[in-house]
Amino acid sequence: MKSIIITNNPAVREKYRNVLFIDGSVEDTLIKVRDMVYQGYELVSHPLAASIRMMYSPYRSVILGRQEAKVDFLYAEIIEDSIIKYKRHTSHRKKDVTNSDDYQMIDLILLEAALSEQQITW
Amino acid sequence: MSDKYKVLYYVNQFFGQVGGEDKAGMAPEYRGEKIGPALGFEGLLNKNGEVVGTIICGDNYFNENKEKALDFILGTIKDIAPDVFVAGPAFNAGRYGVACGEISKAVAEKLNIPVVTGMYMENPGLDICKEVAYVVRTSDSAGGMRKALPIMAQIADKLAKGIEVGPPEEEGYIPRGMRKTIFVEKRGSQRAVEMLLARLKGQPFTTEMPMPVFDIVEPAPAIKDLSKATIALCTSGGIVPEGNPDHIQSASAQKWGKYDIAGRDALNAPDFYTTHGGYDPVYANEIPDRVAPLDILREFEKEGYIGKVYDFFYTTTGTGTSVSKAKEFGTQIGAELKAAGVDGVILTST
Amino acid sequence: MKLEIGRIYIKDIQLGQETSVKEGVLTVDKEGLIAKLKEDERIKDVSLDVAKPGEKVRIIPVKDVIEPRVKIEGGNNGFPGVTSKQAQCGEGKTNVLYGAAVVTVGDVVGFQEGVIDMWGEGAKWTPFSKTYNLTVDISVVDGLTPHAHEETVRIAGLKAAEFVGLAGKDVTPDEVITYEMGSIFEETAKYPNLPKVLYAEMMITQGLLHDTYIYGVNAQTILPALLHPNEELDNAVISGNCVAACDKITTYQHQNNSVIEDLYAQHGKEINFLGCIMVPEHTTLAGKLRVSDYVLKLAKMLGADAVVISEEGYGNPDSDLLMICKKCEKAGIITQLITDECAGRDGMSQPLADTAQEAVAVVSGGNVSHVVTLPPADKIIGNAAAIAVLAGGWDGALLEDGTLMCELNAVIGSTSEIGFHNVTCRLY
Repeated sequence: MKSIIITNNPAVREKYRNVLFIDGSVEDTLIKVRDMVYQGYELVSHPLAASIRMMYSPYRSVILGRQEAKVDFLYAEIIEDSIIKYKRHTSHRKKDVTNSDDYQMIDLILLEAALSEQQITW
Repeated sequence: MSDKYKVLYYVNQFFGQVGGEDKAGMAPEYRGEKIGPALGFEGLLNKNGEVVGTIICGDNYFNENKEKALDFILGTIKDIAPDVFVAGPAFNAGRYGVACGEISKAVAEKLNIPVVTGMYMENPGLDICKEVAYVVRTSDSAGGMRKALPIMAQIADKLAKGIEVGPPEEEGYIPRGMRKTIFVEKRGSQRAVEMLLARLKGQPFTTEMPMPVFDIVEPAPAIKDLSKATIALCTSGGIVPEGNPDHIQSASAQKWGKYDIAGRDALNAPDFYTTHGGYDPVYANEIPDRVAPLDILREFEKEGYIGKVYDFFYTTTGTGTSVSKAKEFGTQIGAELKAAGVDGVILTST
Repeated sequence: MKLEIGRIYIKDIQLGQETSVKEGVLTVDKEGLIAKLKEDERIKDVSLDVAKPGEKVRIIPVKDVIEPRVKIEGGNNGFPGVTSKQAQCGEGKTNVLYGAAVVTVGDVVGFQEGVIDMWGEGAKWTPFSKTYNLTVDISVVDGLTPHAHEETVRIAGLKAAEFVGLAGKDVTPDEVITYEMGSIFEETAKYPNLPKVLYAEMMITQGLLHDTYIYGVNAQTILPALLHPNEELDNAVISGNCVAACDKITTYQHQNNSVIEDLYAQHGKEINFLGCIMVPEHTTLAGKLRVSDYVLKLAKMLGADAVVISEEGYGNPDSDLLMICKKCEKAGIITQLITDECAGRDGMSQPLADTAQEAVAVVSGGNVSHVVTLPPADKIIGNAAAIAVLAGGWDGALLEDGTLMCELNAVIGSTSEIGFHNVTCRLY
């Protein structure tokens, strides 16, 4: 497997093998992604979802590709911006735990949509 | 007791008619009367409000004894409990502006009293308080007093009466940086098409979401041979020699310092510490090299990886420091380093 | 292509025994509609209600809003490729029940939001407080997959709009609007000196609850596609998007796309409106790069001088928006963006984290984090538990009397990024 999924979503861990599971929050997950991007990993999927409601999701999965020798600044900028945005929206909010199962499911479905795109090039 | 609202005024030693630069060291005083601009200010309130008193403080005193000065000033204001607090205008006077800025910020945030002040766009005090106070846009010198006071008075009047203050361009204050959600007459698509047409015709248009403007700095050419290069160390992380001999401000720096490090292998505690007020200083004070890494530069020097570490290091604090001040510092430090034949600089921030 | 939209003004709505429009009063055959929808065996129950402007009614969680219409001439009735056989949209005559809307409610997942208040403070923030709404609340049989559940509710809403729309079949419209444009070559020959303007409409296309369909085709699978503007105004595009309440494009907003309307209004006067590019928003960066390259290529092939770009959603689509903007501007094609912003609850934050110096002309639909206070409703249509999701944001968001505080992002259509509403932000 060339790609690796950084996730704190147990449903993703159960289904996929190329997973680096983060036993923590979405923020922990994004920070791990950031660290790996600075180690040269290619950012394959965008760290954020497409709506604010999904930012309240307690689960998030991000796909990374190959490790290159050099850091790609586009990826670095995107993950850094994503962390800023994520914190801005969630820092004052309570965690939505009652809908955990639904959030796990939707995160998995969105991840699979990404996995179905141009995988051969990652 | 009248039913007029109460205004309390702040000025420096000069506008407080105590004296010039020779009196800049005076400690804050409260006078139960209208002094300097406060006098004209009351007349502009259309008999709705009354200036009950004036606080006067020397610019140097405030900047060098900020905590003490603020304690006294806040205590006085708390006792008098005005409906509005007014400071300045400070025009482009740096120290006066910083004092107005710091006081305005403290009054707005700690006492929750509305504040009006006035400054020139480039005054270093502006960034300190513009988010919490209404800062009226003034000219760069006291010649703009006659124009500034009525605008300040009008805003003060609204604040005292609890009337909503309108948009900055209408009211004359410098935008506070707040994105206010409002209704407008035309729907978004209509506004978009109109903006597009203006742009297509080369007419002026105003974007609804200005992008931040960044200075693009052309990188200097790479150093060809590091092993022969002299490298200087420079930081905005506030690392200073013990005792902070030059009194570099912990925020909104007005100056920079330059210290001899010729005989040192590292910036060790307690000989050095940080005076920076914008981050948790614990780790920097433990090992100041964490902010300004002289230790590593010395290693490189020993290995021959770099030619030499320059004999002086340069320091200031970055937090709250205005861009115009930072540019001034950079130009001055850069000129010195160039004259000294320094080839490169390690510049650390926090 | 020539499309005549006949508007039949609707001034009231009621449930009854027949489906008709008489003197502006829309009556919906309640049992008939329920029976029609229940033809789908996946539907267990249908609950119909009406909500009129000014009533102290709250609808939550709103899935989609659809305008009821009927095809009078040309094409097929309904939504070709979805509720009816494939046909060309955008030609002939279509009657619309102007001022009426079908609003589907019912949650596929527990965290859906999307509120419409028909009165007071909340009404100001959503354009759908001004429409006479027929609410269709669908519950499905047990054991459906989430995908099947979403599809069931989506199709039921479209069928309901089709069913209600038939009431306008033999009614003379109060107003007829003609949308007509020839081929790009013909129009350019007619207006050789007018600047050529394209509209690039971004759509959320990322998976369940995050989809858009064109002629029934899931747009997640398409490359950016060129549409005649009439097609979108005539039921070709539908929403399967159940998130991003404030800035999603409901089916109603596709049918009445305000950017298309306002560009059309200038066609032949100030601009030569070339058409619409439907732009999928992908989750992968490769997808975003591909799409932005493709939009630029289409713009160049068509000789566009300018592109209006509207976004859907917030978060990863911001990257697509700015990529398209940068690439077009660098190629000498000027861009006009429409988006919304997050400036924090107090409005003091930098609105966009991603920034591009090329984005010089931007319309803002408002601050998605702006907090609104919504007083308690007399009647709730939908699922009262969804209010708890809304109110669960932070401590003190729900007061004892039922007043709730929420961010604009929960209100349907409040910060529309196709400029459908009249909210914005100004620097104070």
